[in-house]
Amino acid sequence: MAEIIILNASPRAPKSNSKLYADIFIKNCKEKTEYYNISKNNHTELCGKINGFTDLLFVFPLYADGIPSTLLGFLKTLEKNPPEKKPTVSVIVNCGFFEPAQNDTAVDMVKLFCAQNGFPFGSALQIGSGEAILDTPFRSFAERKIKMLAGCISDGKQRVLKTTMPLPKRIFIRASTSYWLEYGRKNGVTEEEMRTMSIEKF
Amino acid sequence: MKLILSDTPLNISSEISNGIKYIDLSELKIANCVGCFGCWTKTPGKCVIRDDAVKVYPLIAASDAVIYVSRIKYGGYDTVMKTMLERAIPIQMAFIRLLDGETHHVQRAVALKKAVIIAYGDTGEEEREVFRRLVERNAKNMSFKSWRIVFVNENETESAVREAVKEWRK
Repeated sequence: MAEIIILNASPRAPKSNSKLYADIFIKNCKEKTEYYNISKNNHTELCGKINGFTDLLFVFPLYADGIPSTLLGFLKTLEKNPPEKKPTVSVIVNCGFFEPAQNDTAVDMVKLFCAQNGFPFGSALQIGSGEAILDTPFRSFAERKIKMLAGCISDGKQRVLKTTMPLPKRIFIRASTSYWLEYGRKNGVTEEEMRTMSIEKF
Repeated sequence: MKLILSDTPLNISSEISNGIKYIDLSELKIANCVGCFGCWTKTPGKCVIRDDAVKVYPLIAASDAVIYVSRIKYGGYDTVMKTMLERAIPIQMAFIRLLDGETHHVQRAVALKKAVIIAYGDTGEEEREVFRRLVERNAKNMSFKSWRIVFVNENETESAVREAVKEWRK
């Protein structure tokens, strides 16, 4: 039986989409799971908790084309405080862009960490349109792939899974524009203001 | 304007002339991006965290030539540079466009750049390859019209920066 520790490396972990993806994973996983948010001050504590788990699942968003600083910092701590028996590492990475492949480099970075530090790498789920997909009728596309990932980890399989909204890109862009306009509207900010070309001067 | 952004102090004062700005990020206080989207949807073009990052991203936006100097970790920028690059998203909009057939954010007033990345540290070929792919991705999201990566050992970093500045003068 696998035992999976899930670490959320989103900078806004408690309120993140990564948390929602982790919740779906837990709901669809037959194995024992434990979930934690990575915060600024709990890296060493979390490294201590990894002992005894067969699998480690990182859930995180793409930041500036790679892993977020939160995860980078945690991996550096894990490198210095490795568990006695190293679990197999898998990832769920999501980006707001349409193409799940824009997450490739972030997955490669985690794989590289694993190769450099003797952790086996398991499976990866790369989600495109990950900022909004759970609030759309296409939620089931993400849920299905998360369930598949849970199966891969249970069965010890190595797979790369990808999903996004099943839309032409131009329709995706239109939907994404509406999503962000609504986001701004809730803050009392107009489209014109959101489209400002000005960047503050310092 | 030309910008040298480094994660380590560099002794390059003799290279700095008018039109070249040098920033040692290791001297600045820059917190992690918290993913609040405030710079897109609350105060567009302006980060809600008022630390030293707000001095840096307007310079990134204005520069048509940049030299980024960073240690490499797990095939990416190490913490100091990565934290700053993550905090530079106020120079983009929330909105998405198609660029070379892929979805990317619309940029605000951001100059197209010639970028030189001085990537230092003890890196093997596999790590370099991941970093090359990363910078290729960065080019689309960070307005690089051209880019060059120079891999060096740590003790060669300053001389690599001097060489890159000389190239600017040609």
